[in-house]
Amino acid sequence: MFSRSALRGLASEVRWTAPSTISSAAPLQQRACLHQSASLMNSQPQSQSASSHPESPLSATPRAQDTQPKTRVKAPTFDETIMTPQTRAHVPIAKQPVAPTFTSPLEVTKSLMSQLPHLAGQKPHYIVAQLHARPYLLTEGDHIRLPFLMPKVKAGDILRFNRASALGSRDFTMKGSPTIDERIYECRVRVTGVDAEPLRIKEKTKRRQRHVKQAKSKHRYTLMRVMDVRVKTPDELLAEGAVIVDDAADSSVIEPRS
Amino acid sequence: MPLRGIRTSTAARNGAGAFILQCKRLDFHYCNWAGSSKGMVTFLEKHLPAFARENPQIEIRVSPRPQKHPLIKGLYINGREKPVCVRNLEPHEILKKAILLKEASGEKLKRVKKPVTSLNESVRGIWSPYHGDLRGV
Repeated sequence: MFSRSALRGLASEVRWTAPSTISSAAPLQQRACLHQSASLMNSQPQSQSASSHPESPLSATPRAQDTQPKTRVKAPTFDETIMTPQTRAHVPIAKQPVAPTFTSPLEVTKSLMSQLPHLAGQKPHYIVAQLHARPYLLTEGDHIRLPFLMPKVKAGDILRFNRASALGSRDFTMKGSPTIDERIYECRVRVTGVDAEPLRIKEKTKRRQRHVKQAKSKHRYTLMRVMDVRVKTPDELLAEGAVIVDDAADSSVIEPRS
Repeated sequence: MPLRGIRTSTAARNGAGAFILQCKRLDFHYCNWAGSSKGMVTFLEKHLPAFARENPQIEIRVSPRPQKHPLIKGLYINGREKPVCVRNLEPHEILKKAILLKEASGEKLKRVKKPVTSLNESVRGIWSPYHGDLRGV
């Protein structure tokens, strides 16, 4: 049995070697947007199979902050001056999105664990995701136009919504208090572009003045598409290191439809 | 036998699975003589090669349009086009316009009030007064 630190070192080594194998596909830049998901799929099983310890981004096992070595500079095969990143494989390791780190394993109550198969098995699911304290009721494939322009995102980026106040299917609803732990579900969203509203002109006048000022506004909004809304099964949660605890007053519960 | 239309089996939901950028072509027009094209000419020399390399999925055409103001025109998958006049703009401002055209969806600008639009059926179904338990008020 390896210790966790040894596995972590091994996994980080594998993550370091992975981009060099993928960058051989660089001549296929023309269809980069189509190949993005494919190369992602190729890259991840490599690292997982070699490390024999799946390093999924939302794993429930406690990991310290020093998962990724900070002293290393960048992958030697990557050349920033020539190529701009198109897929995740092209992004230097130091700049790749960091998987969320949790200080304690996911705690699931016994009653939730017994009811979760009913919710997870009944498709489709909906999620009430909170973004800047606003609820968005989402199902798979929905189109979102956020009421604001999200900074620092580009078309094609994938985000994970990790604040959900409710999660449900036709007959069951899981309510959070106030939010559900993000390790129970997966809600991925793809940024598809930026939209604008038609120019609005508001005439501003003062009393007893002929002058009329025209105030113009044309706001921009981020467009998104929900890729998936998925509830994890109890087996998946246990495989990711969830701990079963006794029921408490403030824990999340699944309510059947009345 | 009545004429039957082709029934669509799926609705297009770009980004739910694969993602395709909606902008398929950008046309850059400039004039070699006019002063309003000064920024555009610098942009074409300095910034456009890098921009084109970053976006291999967009076809880029550069052509002169004498005696006219410089123009960027974006063509989209849905068949619409979006022209932006860039007269007297600095190169970095023109780059912003090019990025705007790249990320645009190509749809006509509309005022939308609801943030979420869904093609799916309601997950919980439609409420019926004849089903379910009686609830006390």
